[in-house]
Amino acid sequence: MKRICFLFSLLAMTSIIAAPAMAQDMMDYPSELSECAVDLTGETLTIFHFGDLSGPYAFITQPVVSAVTDAVHYWNGRGGVCGAMLQQIYEDTGGSREAAQSAYDRFTSAYKDELDLLLLYSSDDGELLREQLAEDEIVSFISAGSIESLYGEDGMTPGWLYASNPLYINQFGFFCQFVAASPEIFPDPVIGFVTWPNAFGRAGTEPSARAYCAELGVDVLEEPQFFLPTDTDILTQVQNAIDGGANIIYTNTLATGPALIAGTLVDLGMEDEIRLAGVNWVMDTTVGILGQRVLKPNGLPSVDGMFGSMPFLWWTELTSPAVQFVYQQFTLNERSPAEQNIAYLVAWGAVDSIIETFIRTVNRVGSLDAVTGADIRETVEAMDYEILGGLMRHRFEEGMRDATMNRIAVLKYANTTMSGAATGPDDALLIDDGAGGKLFVPIVVPLTDFMPVPQLRGQ
Amino acid sequence: MEEFFNRYKKELTWLFYAIATALVLLFLREQLADKKASRIVQTLISGILVGGIYGLVALGIVVINKASGVFNFAHGWMMVVGGMIFWSFFAVAEISVPGAALLSTATMFMVMTAVSVRSLLEPRNLLIAAGGVLALTILMTVGGIELKWLHAIVGAFAGAILIGLVVERFTIRPLIGQPIFTAVLMTLAIAEVLHGVTQIAWGTVELNLPIFVNPETNRRFSVIRLDGLKDMLGGVTIIRVELVIAFVLAIVAFVGFIAFFRYTSVGLAMRATSEDQQLAQSVGLRVRVILAITWAVAAILASIAGVLQGGAVGLSLNISFVALRVFPAVLLGGLESIGGAFIGGIIIGIVEQFGTFLNSSQQVGTDLAPYVVLMLVLVVRPDGLFGEKRIERI
Repeated sequence: MKRICFLFSLLAMTSIIAAPAMAQDMMDYPSELSECAVDLTGETLTIFHFGDLSGPYAFITQPVVSAVTDAVHYWNGRGGVCGAMLQQIYEDTGGSREAAQSAYDRFTSAYKDELDLLLLYSSDDGELLREQLAEDEIVSFISAGSIESLYGEDGMTPGWLYASNPLYINQFGFFCQFVAASPEIFPDPVIGFVTWPNAFGRAGTEPSARAYCAELGVDVLEEPQFFLPTDTDILTQVQNAIDGGANIIYTNTLATGPALIAGTLVDLGMEDEIRLAGVNWVMDTTVGILGQRVLKPNGLPSVDGMFGSMPFLWWTELTSPAVQFVYQQFTLNERSPAEQNIAYLVAWGAVDSIIETFIRTVNRVGSLDAVTGADIRETVEAMDYEILGGLMRHRFEEGMRDATMNRIAVLKYANTTMSGAATGPDDALLIDDGAGGKLFVPIVVPLTDFMPVPQLRGQ
Repeated sequence: MEEFFNRYKKELTWLFYAIATALVLLFLREQLADKKASRIVQTLISGILVGGIYGLVALGIVVINKASGVFNFAHGWMMVVGGMIFWSFFAVAEISVPGAALLSTATMFMVMTAVSVRSLLEPRNLLIAAGGVLALTILMTVGGIELKWLHAIVGAFAGAILIGLVVERFTIRPLIGQPIFTAVLMTLAIAEVLHGVTQIAWGTVELNLPIFVNPETNRRFSVIRLDGLKDMLGGVTIIRVELVIAFVLAIVAFVGFIAFFRYTSVGLAMRATSEDQQLAQSVGLRVRVILAITWAVAAILASIAGVLQGGAVGLSLNISFVALRVFPAVLLGGLESIGGAFIGGIIIGIVEQFGTFLNSSQQVGTDLAPYVVLMLVLVVRPDGLFGEKRIERI
């Protein structure tokens, strides 16, 4: 289970230095897209998307627009997709359900004939629009959806949304598998949730997840501890979890959330006794940077050693042509370091997936105008496609609406020789932060291969 | 019986409050009985320190309300913009001289034209404005990264004053004499505009603002550990230095503003203006200037709170929501009370922490307890703990 892929990660880390040099030669597009059987010259293929670009999740989602913009620029500079020019139409909903509904209404009325595939960002929007998408026969791609958005209230009714990440509850179950198989890292494991109180934060706190973990010999505290993204002090929540017996804290938060928990553990002097883990978003660059406010007694940032899900390849895995390509585009388009996050990476994957879906559908139905949502759905469910040649996999057979493969990784910081993870500040790679300070360079080290996640919905 | 109730109505009311309080205390005693003393002390300390930040945010809202009667719903976004301006000078190695000059010029223009644009036609005023622009630009750009604190403080103050004055001049001033509710609605519009400006200028990516750092390690200050109390309390108790700094700054701000309102002519004029703007104008007070000063001061307070909050958890658009959490503190302390804002902030901070301590899984601390306490207090004192009781004579 826990085959440590150090060789893989070390190779990946060396590429941080190699990348700028590599970026000099234009790479080929990494995907094996289907051949175009229909010439779409003179037509326009629109990528529709909307979501929270200015609300609570803005710092994660904003790079979506950058990535789609770069992808559109890339394709149009090469004559388009089967001759069709790409364009994006998007809207910011600020995290408001009313604004999301309003955007949906506008999109469906203004682009009634074109809108067959819609990119969404958040579980909340997915839940809101689930029934409407089905009624209007519009397929939606989403990064990670909740059980309700993808499978309905009973967890057993697949809808028209397709998520590229595993369900959060399945990610948690997968983590329990990892914990159970790693007694030397997690002796007598007891997991306590310290998380946000929204739909995203609560995912994984369901009784079915607790029962599954208990079967594996991993106890999960019944009472999750909630905090808000605006909280400055969460000592009380973290101490509640520890007093309840937790020796692993699991969190469904992002950006400041994991960093705040890790900092609190250091404040309490319990950074070695309590392990920290979380959903795929805890592995994001923002966490690696924000977690540097507080250092452990060993001199490394507070989030060093945090475990998390990694259901796709990461920026540091530059042995993959997919990551090399996205990195090159990121560099060529002079994107800011803050945008080098999950959203930019995954959004390139989403565009690739949309393009392949349209090529296959148009090949089958004969023209872009003839494509309907039902045609798109038929294509999506028949596809088994390596997105960008391996960034992640698009496979939604047998009623599945979320990704089924995952792996566990650990957040570390690069050493000076780029040959592995730093063991302390003396051998850590430090770069200027542009304001007179130094920054550690976060890296993600996969600890397992891609493996199937447990299916915990509807139990 | 009815006569008895009427006769002893006041005493019976207080008896009811006393019984209710005793019941609450008994409930808390039972809830806390099996808790470690160290946790109770830790929760109390956290509550007081977090409450200090709430108090600082509440102060900005109260200042506006005290001077103009307007409840400022844009305060949270003024915090965000203030924090972002500070970051622009603090976290950037090379400050743009034209950018700093532009900010200085805009700020000095708004300051010098607070009364009228014509005042700039006077050579003396023009000279003062030019000197101000020069001084501010130099202070924002002089030296290198080692003077980033100076650059950031001056830049943030100038930016805050500019925001306050622009908001007052172009949105609040035209509403003088109109119903207060119109101005309150205007603050909602201001919030949305500032939201948009923030996105355009700084994007939405979370920014690191390392202000609470040890200069030697360039990392956050270590916590203060009260190891001496470990045996007595049965566990470790810690105090976060950045929260202590924020708390001390809050106290300094409160003392300063209480003195300002009580002992300065501008402060007294603000109080008079809040009573009745038209009446104040009729007795010769420059309502426009007073309102301009008030909004500038509120913007400065918002910036300080934004910087402290951003330094503690990172600068993001989420900071604006802190102001929403502070509303109970403002109402609890009394809408016009400077001291009340501070006490209200502390009480809400403590209530939140104890609510979380006793039941975090149901969000009692953030979603329920502060509002229950607020309701109870408002039942007893409808104007808040320290609010002014208004008597209208007909």
